[in-house]
Amino acid sequence: MIKPACEDAYLIQSKDLRNSYYSLTFGSFSKAGQCRPGHFVHVQLPCSDVFLRRPMSVASVSRGKKEIEIILKVLGRGTRMMSDLKKGDRINILGPLGVPFRLPRRSQTVIMVAGGVGFPPLLYLATEMVAKGHDPVLIEFFYGGRSAGDIVEKPRIKKLGLKFHPVTEDGSLGSLGLVTQAVEEYITSRKGTVKPVMYGCGPEGMLKATDELGRKYGVGGQLSLEAPMPCGIGICLGCVVNLRQGGHARVCCDGPVFDIGEVIL
Amino acid sequence: MTPDMKVTIAGVELANPLMTASGCCGYGEELANLYPLSKLGALVTKSITLKPRLGHPVPRTAETASGMLNAIGLANVGIDDFIREKIPFLAKQKTVVIVNVAGSAIDEYVEVSARLNDQPAVDMIELNISCPNVNEGGMEFGANSRLTEQSVAAVRKVFSRPIIAKLSPNVTSIADIADAAAQGGADAFSVINSLVGTSVDVDSWRPRLTNNKGGLTGPAIKPVALAMVNAVYERSRLPIVGIGGIATWSDAVEFMLCGATAMQVGTALFIDPFTPVKIVNEMKTYLKKKKISAARDLVGKVRKY
Ligand SMILES: Cc1cc2nc3c(=O)[nH]c(=O)nc-3n(C[C@H](O)[C@H](O)[C@H](O)COP(=O)(O)O)c2cc1C
Ligand code: FES
Repeated sequence: MIKPACEDAYLIQSKDLRNSYYSLTFGSFSKAGQCRPGHFVHVQLPCSDVFLRRPMSVASVSRGKKEIEIILKVLGRGTRMMSDLKKGDRINILGPLGVPFRLPRRSQTVIMVAGGVGFPPLLYLATEMVAKGHDPVLIEFFYGGRSAGDIVEKPRIKKLGLKFHPVTEDGSLGSLGLVTQAVEEYITSRKGTVKPVMYGCGPEGMLKATDELGRKYGVGGQLSLEAPMPCGIGICLGCVVNLRQGGHARVCCDGPVFDIGEVIL
Repeated sequence: MTPDMKVTIAGVELANPLMTASGCCGYGEELANLYPLSKLGALVTKSITLKPRLGHPVPRTAETASGMLNAIGLANVGIDDFIREKIPFLAKQKTVVIVNVAGSAIDEYVEVSARLNDQPAVDMIELNISCPNVNEGGMEFGANSRLTEQSVAAVRKVFSRPIIAKLSPNVTSIADIADAAAQGGADAFSVINSLVGTSVDVDSWRPRLTNNKGGLTGPAIKPVALAMVNAVYERSRLPIVGIGGIATWSDAVEFMLCGATAMQVGTALFIDPFTPVKIVNEMKTYLKKKKISAARDLVGKVRKY
């Protein structure tokens, strides 16, 4: 278990990715080099209006420079305040926290199922895999949103050389429908020829459908879950999910990454 | 000279007056990954009940102005697993171990406390007769003088080490309840548990907690807690453990001035798990500056008008 740091960091860069999405880079953070894909950091804002920390998946790290990037969508008070931060503004970071993704074997076909604001940890996972020598053409990156504007950072994803499959509910970009429908078509069309592993992160309904696909077609893999997290380190019991084997798990420290089939979604 | 931070509660000496509050530090394992628990005056475990409990469905926490609501519902491993899996870890920690006990009937408090009496690693128990988050009991006991006295007296018969009665702020006179607990044989009080509150989503018209209501904690409740600590201090000679919104060294000093001998940090651990350690260090600086040789000299020294 990594011992998380709890320290101040400063906003180094803020990029408006449009449609309420922002990329924020903070530094210097002494544990940036230990943030793996799937880890999150718990961010405290320097204002009394937002009392609790906000969990944010790590989207990338620049190890040499000790910086971490998070990508957020403005959905509430906390994320709005974060999007308003200016270069040089101070925040406090507790992290890295949680259990990261298990990297797949290098020869494996990998299906990534990203939905809306759930894409940053998968972007980091894909980036890390390619950097470690995973053949990018083995990565099928499915990325769903309501419409074209919800699919952000397209050039960055495509640049990895992976197979990019945008899916929108209104058909304004890529195939029409739900991202999990496109994933199911892919799985059924390749059945028997490849044995893929699946990674998912996104809204509740998408995770549930991905989990069902995994169990229906016998495709293993992992899902990264979201939950309100008062503490992020396992001491408040506010973030629990029900396990299929019975009992609870804490999303913040037993997860946020769980195996397909492990959690009742 | 470095100020003397040691305090004594019911004959048990604490290295310093800062504890972690029940329900805000699990059974200690997570914090021990961050710093040695010997830096704490004491650790208070999550409430332990006879049977394991999963608690209420999520959402069971909600953010509020300068605080939060929770209705965890006493989720805990139950006394059997607590003794089997958690006590061995706690026994190794160089800090005072206080086990918080909860129940839905007097028999349950008695049975859990009797089991803990056989565990030498348990230095004291804290009786949670004040949980707002279970329907069957908890706060019912702590809101009624007769039930408070009866439950403390029943536990007194089976537990031979110090008993702290954790008092509820959701009462007409907390000093009356304190009297009843003392009558039952309590050795100390912890003041306060959370305040009943709720919060509603205006889009869905749903309460933000599945339990419909919960307990308010954090800096928002500090003024209430201070007044209640002082009310109990003026009524009773038993030592008080002050709780409610403590996040900084000056919060802790205020509690001592109002009559607390020791303090617990709850919600602030969620913002910064190092809070009690920082408070101890910063309190030392304050005491030095004020030329006060021992932290305990602050207790009850508020200069009232
Ligand atoms: C998430 C959460 C869980 C809690 N669980 C318990 C509990 O199991 N037993 C108990 O006696 N008090 C429990 N409390 C109350 C705290 O111990 C403490 O009395 C209260 O939070 C006020 O202190 P604070 O403002 O520092 O948090 C809980 C509080 C929180 C926030
Ligand atoms: S957020 Fe507190 S236990 Fe997970």
